[in-house]
Amino acid sequence: MTLLLAAILPALASGPPAADAVKLETPNVEYRTNVASASTSPWIDANGWRILRQPARKYYYEVRPASVALAAAEAFVYGAHAKISTDTAGVGIFNRMLAFLGGLSDSNWPAMANIGVVDDGSDETGELMNMLSRRNLLYRIVKAPDPHLDLNVRIGSAQYPKSDAADPSVLAQKIRAELTDEKRLLRLYGSEVVIARLMGTGHGIRIHLLNYSNRPVTALRVRVLGSYPNAHIAAFDKPDLKVEDLTLSDGATEFTVPEMSAYAVVDLARQP
Amino acid sequence: MPGPFPGRVVRVHSEKSVGNSTHQVDAPTVREMLSRGMQSLTGAKTDRDAWATFFDPKDVVGIKLNCSGAPDICSAPDVVAGIAENLVALGIPAKNIYLYERFQDQVASVHYDRFVPAGVNIFAAETRRGSIGSYDPNTYVETNFFGEEDTRSNMIRLITERFTKIVNVPNMKDHGAAGVTGCLKNIAYGSFSNVARSHSGAKTNTLSFIGTLANVEPLRSRTVLQIMDGLRGVWHGGPFSTDARFRFYPKTMMFGTDPVAIDRLLLDIIENKRKAEGALSIWDRSMDHVRQGPLDPRYGAFIREPGHIEFAGKLGLGVYDLARIQTTSIEV
Repeated sequence: MTLLLAAILPALASGPPAADAVKLETPNVEYRTNVASASTSPWIDANGWRILRQPARKYYYEVRPASVALAAAEAFVYGAHAKISTDTAGVGIFNRMLAFLGGLSDSNWPAMANIGVVDDGSDETGELMNMLSRRNLLYRIVKAPDPHLDLNVRIGSAQYPKSDAADPSVLAQKIRAELTDEKRLLRLYGSEVVIARLMGTGHGIRIHLLNYSNRPVTALRVRVLGSYPNAHIAAFDKPDLKVEDLTLSDGATEFTVPEMSAYAVVDLARQP
Repeated sequence: MPGPFPGRVVRVHSEKSVGNSTHQVDAPTVREMLSRGMQSLTGAKTDRDAWATFFDPKDVVGIKLNCSGAPDICSAPDVVAGIAENLVALGIPAKNIYLYERFQDQVASVHYDRFVPAGVNIFAAETRRGSIGSYDPNTYVETNFFGEEDTRSNMIRLITERFTKIVNVPNMKDHGAAGVTGCLKNIAYGSFSNVARSHSGAKTNTLSFIGTLANVEPLRSRTVLQIMDGLRGVWHGGPFSTDARFRFYPKTMMFGTDPVAIDRLLLDIIENKRKAEGALSIWDRSMDHVRQGPLDPRYGAFIREPGHIEFAGKLGLGVYDLARIQTTSIEV
């Protein structure tokens, strides 16, 4: 079971990275309008899947101030042992984010997922996890197929032969179609640049929302399976934010995040 | 829709309504065209009675603009101002009249505020492209066309929560994906979010999606009047108008409550103009004639779907059969 280690907070680097630390990509969005692609969706550089794959490793980011808040939040959300290197202007932003993260209530809940990915350590499986993350197809890394999940994927199996992995985008679509949108624990509407992580138990859930663009996202509509009439949002740099238009219907809860910058956390509960 | 006059269209033409070389609209002529068209449609003897057929002072009225070809080809400010003035004359406060469109940059380029009565609202749903904050989260059509992650198209919130009536003011334009863009396309794709996904590839989903959206309540029942501004038009490259070579001047306005009937006439207007210019037929379905790149009337970027109008007719939105469409022609 994958746990979010809420106590793991990112730190500022005070010197060169440790020899065994893995450098993570600068989290952001690339709008490749001049490059032919299988879809028109922006390309997101995100590291969650790498961290989930090797949660015990040490990581580091080298980022400019514009990416500091997101890098720190990303490391926190995925429980990375990460250090962040930035310039003087970035330090203030980092400290603000650190204070925000430190102020969140503990929720040492398990990650919720529809899909189990049997990770063989291959590049193909890594790229598949990357694609699933970007499309908010919630998965968990498993050692063997987990019958409690809606779907299990092992590249190289009869259902998902290695040839399928040649185009991870198409493979992710195949998995989505097999899962069906109706069964998805979480859906996002109104933005293609937000990646969510869902943690929780039957009584309450926490939704982490990471905005990979450098612009605010407005009116993000979130749908989660389950009926949760009570919602509380904490958003970085938006202290008075409240969720809007919360509805409960068809066994799901929906609400709108009016505006968010790099990171927001929504806690949903069945009881106040 | 189709309202009290299914299958009825009033065409008002005036040679002096717009200058071919100047591109300028003659405001007094447009006011007269508006008056003649509304009185003919309703059978009323006065403008006030004509507009009172559809509206009363308690209404909150949305005027659906078309600004995708703005600033050169759009719902003409003089037409829109004439509509707003008639509504105000009927006793509807200016503050209860909203000009609306989806994209702020397009609307702003026209400067409607210089034409309409003081106090009329000018609203764009997306001040930043893609933001869904002005749409109703609970009124949407959900469908997955090509594997896109966001599978919803939401209706503008003003329509569901504020407007009691809507006047639709489309233009006469070719549309690369839909075949033409008239009443149906303007009210459907102009009232919902996230619709361009229906034409992300050469073979589009516009055939069924346009009518499907127009059929959603409360949009369908609140859209009570169609006034097609065909003073100026686009015969190729639509819905945009980046190239003046593809503009033309029908100098015509069409009035009705039936969007299908008006759009059925529009099909022939655009097809005949394209034929006269040696352009590809809007009915052509050969992939050999699909080509990306600079505008060329012999090719299209998509397989056009002019059948979306007949499809909408089958949904009950109006009369498609030409033999059942009653047209009154007026010359001003």
